[in-house]
Amino acid sequence: MTLNMGIFCRCLLMAVVLCGSPVANAEDLLPADTDIVQIIDHYIRQHLVTVGVAAVEPADDLTLLRRTTLDLAGRVPTPVERVWFMSQPVPDRRRLLVERLMNLPDFDFHQRNWLDETLLPNQPYHDEFRTYLLTAVQGRRSWDTVFREIMKAGVSEGPEKGAGQFLRSRVRDLDDLTNDTAVLFFGVNISCAKCHDHPLVADWKQDHFYGMQAFFQRTYQTRKASSLAERPFGEVKFANVGGESKTAAFMFLTGEVVADRTPQLADEERKQLEERVRKLEHDDAEAEIFVPEFRPRDELVELALHETKQRFFARNIVNRLWARLLGTGLVSPPDQMHSGNAPSHPQLLEWLTSDMVSHGYDLRRLIQGIALSEAYGQSSEWTSGTEPPAASTFALAQTRPLTPRQLGASLHVVIRSPEQWPAIENTEEWMKRRMELENQADGWVREFEQPGENFQIAVDEALFFSNSGRVQDDLLRDSDDRLLGHLKKIEDPSQGVEQLWLAVLNRVPQSDELASATAWLSRFPDKKDESRKQLLWAILAGPEFRFNH
Amino acid sequence: MSRISSSGICIPAHHAVSRRSFLSDGALRAAGAVTVAGCFASDMGQIHALRSEEVASELRKQDKRVILLWLAGGASQFETWDPKPGAKTGGPFRAIQTNATGVHISELLPELAQRMQHTAIIRSLNTKIADHGGGADLMETGRLKDPGILYPDLGAVVARELGRLESRVPDYVSLYTSTEGRRKGTSGFLGARYAPMFLSESMIPPNIARLEAVSEIDHHDRAALRDALGRRFAAARRSHTVDSQNSAYQRVNGLMASAELFDITQEPAEVQARYGPTQFGHQCLIARRLIEAGVPFVKVARAWWDSHGQNFETHQELCADLDHSMSVLLDDLEQRGLLKNTLVITLGEFGRTPQINSSLGRDHFASAWSCTLSGLGIRGGVAYGKTDPEGHTVVEGEASAADLFATILSALGIDHKQEYTVGARPVPLADFGSKPIAEVLS
Repeated sequence: MTLNMGIFCRCLLMAVVLCGSPVANAEDLLPADTDIVQIIDHYIRQHLVTVGVAAVEPADDLTLLRRTTLDLAGRVPTPVERVWFMSQPVPDRRRLLVERLMNLPDFDFHQRNWLDETLLPNQPYHDEFRTYLLTAVQGRRSWDTVFREIMKAGVSEGPEKGAGQFLRSRVRDLDDLTNDTAVLFFGVNISCAKCHDHPLVADWKQDHFYGMQAFFQRTYQTRKASSLAERPFGEVKFANVGGESKTAAFMFLTGEVVADRTPQLADEERKQLEERVRKLEHDDAEAEIFVPEFRPRDELVELALHETKQRFFARNIVNRLWARLLGTGLVSPPDQMHSGNAPSHPQLLEWLTSDMVSHGYDLRRLIQGIALSEAYGQSSEWTSGTEPPAASTFALAQTRPLTPRQLGASLHVVIRSPEQWPAIENTEEWMKRRMELENQADGWVREFEQPGENFQIAVDEALFFSNSGRVQDDLLRDSDDRLLGHLKKIEDPSQGVEQLWLAVLNRVPQSDELASATAWLSRFPDKKDESRKQLLWAILAGPEFRFNH
Repeated sequence: MSRISSSGICIPAHHAVSRRSFLSDGALRAAGAVTVAGCFASDMGQIHALRSEEVASELRKQDKRVILLWLAGGASQFETWDPKPGAKTGGPFRAIQTNATGVHISELLPELAQRMQHTAIIRSLNTKIADHGGGADLMETGRLKDPGILYPDLGAVVARELGRLESRVPDYVSLYTSTEGRRKGTSGFLGARYAPMFLSESMIPPNIARLEAVSEIDHHDRAALRDALGRRFAAARRSHTVDSQNSAYQRVNGLMASAELFDITQEPAEVQARYGPTQFGHQCLIARRLIEAGVPFVKVARAWWDSHGQNFETHQELCADLDHSMSVLLDDLEQRGLLKNTLVITLGEFGRTPQINSSLGRDHFASAWSCTLSGLGIRGGVAYGKTDPEGHTVVEGEASAADLFATILSALGIDHKQEYTVGARPVPLADFGSKPIAEVLS
């Protein structure tokens, strides 16, 4: 199969190179029914050939087990999973792993956490929003459905109530509402076009910023029920650099405009409506929400989902998932999708965007495709003295910091005794454990920072690991149910070190590491237990555990 | 400085050698050589400043420092730096002559009045934003909040421009122990390396002391072990983020050694007595200790000046504290030869209204208010700018928040026009179009 695929790809490669157009348009793209993994591999290889860069070796199986489990389950693998993985037939291991992980409850929790961190970066841990996202992910709702529910959120109860939190958390600041929607759902940052046409990006004019703002300008929150509603009228006025006053059209990023269908009202009628809205917005009294016929937010949703010119909505989520799994977007940074910042792989992005639309915005399909690609499976090591290839070639896997939740859950996986995990087929017991892990991770997330662009680990984290009672009393506890308790019972020091390395770093120690660790354990013969604790500390606090690599 | 290094975690040399057998393996040591040199590379990350590194390192060598006395909630300019005795809006207090010819300030600040040779008053701030959140955003960063970008505050910018990467002390400490209007401060796009060490619960930073359960030897050795075991991994990754983790751990010992800087009982009783019994006084003394040890930026927030009611009683109490603590601080810095390297700022989110409301209070007011700059780079004895006789508007020398920031940076010898590049976007240190106030600079 590998051989056939290789030939297939080389043929395709030649065909495309002969066509030779640098700009992606639909006719140049490979057939839509090609396997998504082959497509990714093909375009990545093609680009490597063009830029004359060779990909590094694939990562070894255990590294890939850790990486994939972190990315699809939000935590490191358990010892039981490690044994299961290594017992699978070599050629099918990766596929079976990805399939298994995507069907665990872990996948849904992690997907929910990622959406939460992405959409409410400044206000994480909002219970209702998290409940809504989990319901949506578990129900396998498509991305366009989630977008609709978030943008159209109005009066709702139950698990759906949280959908409105995206808007609710920003409703007091129209600029944030406008720009965050553009950044997070459409991959463009238009804030620089607020006071003047964007000075650096020809695409973005003031008309775009205020055009997008017009879709949100009528949104308000009712005082009594904190429901989201829209006023029946209202417009955005702005001044251009020449001081000329303009009224914004309902304009999407593509320049497409929605006709203003606000009904013309008689003065008296308008006054009554204004009074009704004022009461809803400012008074404590219960009142029925007035739903106008023309609702700009609904218009924005339909326009964004149906525009075929640039497909901002689909391209953005493709790019964000790509960046999440490979460390760098096809367009980087992810909020700079415009003509002045071309994608590294334009045809690949176009193909995946079309695929996203034609498969009904099924995020799982793309996640699976990326996780099985060659690029995802490369080693992250660069030991040559020369400069490593640019991240945008995807010749080398990126080393990515764990999110606070990945780190919290992973800490609680590794400190547990290997005897404490349910058998691989016991899915019912696993669900209970996973819920427990999710709650335990909750208790640690505030200790760590959410990684962003140019992320740096703060000294606060190093101080926390070095001196916090939580680390000493919880992570380094050596009761029977803990890894340290389990290791106490192992007499042979080398065997103990091997188990420690497997449990924490998911690999066997190298000979020099084994020598250093056993020397460490014997340095104070009467304080072996204490030395073991500090050895665990040294690898938990180290870079290999802190990163996904 | 010498006090810190001598009080760091100190282990007799022969101990250290004999316990190093766990590091004896050649491979771990060799792998380490690569990263140790590269471990501070994180600073050279993607936030480029358009200036030569030589200029920057020259600047860092000059040991320049800032103490920001943050008057949280907004102090009244009438009861401090711009009194209007006799005016309808002036309130009950008198103005007094200072030791600078022609400069009068409120009688509530008698000690500071005798120290005006160090201080320039700016009486002409017009910053427009008069709500606590928006005002604080503006006066902490020197620019309006912008969707899509998180700006660093003054402390983070100074920490980055003046802090030394290899420093054993924190480079931005922020003390704010009151609950009203508490704000942590932010390093924004400059990243966590320049985030403040924030003291909100107590006067000692969290996690700065070793737990008794971990022996001194274990604490020290396990850090070395962490370092050794992680070297091969870090060496095989050319990642600023991976390097930043190592930099963070390498700063732990230095910061722990600096814990004593927060302990004012180490000062002679006479010095403690001079700073007085108030918490603000204690925090000013901590600030002096930090500055002396090389911390480039310390913010001490004093709350709560938000006197919507009983403005005059509030100011009687708070001004007494400010007057005394700041005077002692200036004297102390001067006696130790530190004032020539240290800029002391008084600032808040805004001033207070000329109108006195029915609760005898003054409300938020950002159209014509005052701040002060003392010490490093400042022409003392100057009152710059002018408000009308009742204090409603600025009539001379109007200055924006960005102008103030340009002035502060200029006093520190930092080019306020130099730019960070964030993504594709140029961000000047002081906002576009800002101009330093030359009249207050020496």
